[in-house]
Amino acid sequence: MSSRKQPKGKIRPPKKPNSADAQFNDNWDRLAQAIREIHKKNASILSFEELYRNAYNMVLHKNGDKLYNGVREVITQHLEEVAVSQVVPAFPLSGASSSQTNPNGAGGANFLKVLKTVWEDHTTCMLMIRDILMYMDRVYAKTANVPLVYDLGLDLFRDTIVRSQNYPIQNHLLEVLLQQIKLERENEIIDRTNVKASIDMLLELTDASTKDTVYATDFENKFLETSSEYYRVEGQMLVGEYDAPEYMKKVDKRLNEEEQRVRHYLSQTTEPKIRNIVEEELISKHLKTVIEMENSGLIPMLRNEKMDDLGRMYKLFGRVVKGHDEMKSAISDYIRELGKAINETVTSNTTAEGGNAASGDKQTGATVAVRWVQEVLDLKDKFDKVQNLALSNDKAFQTSFNEAFEYFINKNSKSPEFISLFIDDNLKKGLKGKTEEEVDSVLDKTITLFRFIGEKDVFERYYKQHLAKRLLLGRSVSDDAERGMIGKLKVECGYQFTTKLEGMFNDMRISSDTMTDFKEYLDKSVLEKPKLDLSVTVLTSTFWPMNLSASPRCNLPPELTKACGTFQNFYLGRHSGRRLTWQSNMGTADIRGSFKARKHELNVSTYQMVILLMFNDKQDGESLSYEQIKGESDIPEADLKRNLQSLACAKYKILVKEPKGKEINPGDQFNFNNDFTAPLQRIKIQTVASKVESEGERKETREKVEEARKHQTEAAIVRIMKDRKTMEHNLLIAEVVKQLQSRFMPNPALIKKRIEALIEREYLERATGDRRVYNYLA
Amino acid sequence: YRGLSIDFSHLLDESDDYDVIIYAGKEPNVRKFHAHTVILRARSPYFRRALSRDWAKKENGSIVFQKPNIAHEVFDVILKYIYSGTADLLAQEGGIILNLLTASDELVLQELIIYAQD
Repeated sequence: MSSRKQPKGKIRPPKKPNSADAQFNDNWDRLAQAIREIHKKNASILSFEELYRNAYNMVLHKNGDKLYNGVREVITQHLEEVAVSQVVPAFPLSGASSSQTNPNGAGGANFLKVLKTVWEDHTTCMLMIRDILMYMDRVYAKTANVPLVYDLGLDLFRDTIVRSQNYPIQNHLLEVLLQQIKLERENEIIDRTNVKASIDMLLELTDASTKDTVYATDFENKFLETSSEYYRVEGQMLVGEYDAPEYMKKVDKRLNEEEQRVRHYLSQTTEPKIRNIVEEELISKHLKTVIEMENSGLIPMLRNEKMDDLGRMYKLFGRVVKGHDEMKSAISDYIRELGKAINETVTSNTTAEGGNAASGDKQTGATVAVRWVQEVLDLKDKFDKVQNLALSNDKAFQTSFNEAFEYFINKNSKSPEFISLFIDDNLKKGLKGKTEEEVDSVLDKTITLFRFIGEKDVFERYYKQHLAKRLLLGRSVSDDAERGMIGKLKVECGYQFTTKLEGMFNDMRISSDTMTDFKEYLDKSVLEKPKLDLSVTVLTSTFWPMNLSASPRCNLPPELTKACGTFQNFYLGRHSGRRLTWQSNMGTADIRGSFKARKHELNVSTYQMVILLMFNDKQDGESLSYEQIKGESDIPEADLKRNLQSLACAKYKILVKEPKGKEINPGDQFNFNNDFTAPLQRIKIQTVASKVESEGERKETREKVEEARKHQTEAAIVRIMKDRKTMEHNLLIAEVVKQLQSRFMPNPALIKKRIEALIEREYLERATGDRRVYNYLA
Repeated sequence: YRGLSIDFSHLLDESDDYDVIIYAGKEPNVRKFHAHTVILRARSPYFRRALSRDWAKKENGSIVFQKPNIAHEVFDVILKYIYSGTADLLAQEGGIILNLLTASDELVLQELIIYAQD
């Protein structure tokens, strides 16, 4: 250590050069000895003041580097000793043998405990060393750009102990840590304190090249790798052994455990990484398998309404990228499948019915419609519940469910008619004994189905027909309910959709006023009063679904014809220029029938009245043939058959038919049933007010719809072109589709045809030069 | 802060609750000072460590601290400065000021070094 160099620079207070060296050696010897004493936990015999002063003098006399290197050497020596005497003897038996001889990892735990003590001793000593070398840190370390002595101590510990070149401490440490974690994963109780101490130690040590913690460089990757492998194996084992709900519980538990583990003794930076691994190995890789598990997967959960399990699946699968997509598409497929089954029961019912369509048990037809809607509503309820209870009302799921409903509802071409019939069923007076609130809530739900209908114009047509019958036959449960329903439709489709429906209501109201005036008119006039009470409802032809051109024929009895004439004169006298057409297929009549037992008041349709009045002229027992009735009344054949059926084959048999049977055939004979009895005085002969249409009627409705669509399409084209004046073909088509899709989905071929028709009628022209562009002709 | 400064310097003169005895200077020019660890530790990083549980030596209930390489005249200025934040340097000889600078450096009294240099 001694050197003979002359001190450089300015002359110092009288000190011999030799004595400076001697002073240094003396100072250093004391310091080195003191550090050794600190290591031996003998600090109480040391004087801070003296040691500090020694270090201070050494730095002051430019011996900072010697001091610094000396300290490094002493600490390194000490740590080498610690490695040999404490750490290496604590090595657990390595490899496979260790897990056999030490199934609980006791050797490992002891090793960690030793390491914990060694680390704590080291840091305690380093704090004291830092105290006496404070002047060196402040003055020398800064200028020489070397680590502060405490950090030097950490680096020495890292290189001498944790990453020792001489002993496999690092291997043992990592192996033990991973083994401890593995034991804990397998439900062994481990001493977390020891593991945490080692982890904290690794977190405090810094890797020189990466500037990252030794935890990150040495431990974390190994931990993640072994975890991946562990959960890969576990995933395969679990899917093989457990059903879906159990599997998900296990995964939930694992995720929770890993999170807890990180919180208790690993670094927070590891949390997302280990979470990803568990999610990848236990969720992503087994998504389909779990969803498709027989008897316990997603579909069985839905079938048995296992909301907890579904909720768990939603939460778990939401953690991975494809999770919710897979769930969504599986549920949607299931909805489509269930919807298809509902549609199939309907078609099989109606085709079965088709066999005896002539017998026309039309009530069943309506029942099929009501049942179809009810089943769809039940399905909707079920999935609303799933959505609400298990899927946190996830919008994306809702959208995909809606698409599935829309798909199968529109697969049933009769759905617009069915939904209208269902509403009809609920709005009819005195049916089912439901309260108004119940009906209202059913109708609200029905509106949700209405939203799914693509052909809203078809629905409107049926709704009009059914509403007309309810209004004219006085079968609405209440005006409020009807208006409420129209209000709901208005909200869905806007003002345009419901104007005609509201017009129908208006007609009913005006007619009632008209009838009051008519009675007054009769009272005041000198005319002979009709021998019957006539009540007329005047309908605006454009609002109502009647077909004017095919106005039904019927030979009314003279009394009635006369009364009609009186009204006609009264009405046309007030509103000149109007034309009245009598819709004899829509009316009802109250007539009195005298039977052997008693008299009954019969409420019948106009046609039935016409038929029954024919028997007034007949003797008892005298019969009329089908052909006679047909010839005399001139009622259209289908209506005639239906009305005869109501009179002769239904609940109240006012007429007796020969031969007996449910169907009306040419050649049948009819007798007035004088023996008729019934408990009630007043009897209503049920006419079939609503029914599923027959194929013929359906075709007719179709044609009407197509015709209406042509008009609407042309109107839309003209509206757009009037606004834009000139437009390119594809843009025009797109705009038309946009305007019409709330009512129906127009196909481009239809639009193209309408454009051509409009060109022909000179509303539009093709632009000169570009045949793909149209101009509007004012 | 003058009042504070004055009051704190009284602590030094009239203290009956001192818990550290400091001997400054080399024999025979040793002087005994009474002081409070809490103030010394708060004001000086050196004393923070020197008077910590790891290093402090107690005799008869008080901590005893020897500072032989700082003359008691210098230490007196230092101690007053630690308590009051001021030092009457004009009253001091030049030699004392030089020693004060050296001692302040040793005791890591950064503030006082700057003060004395001015």
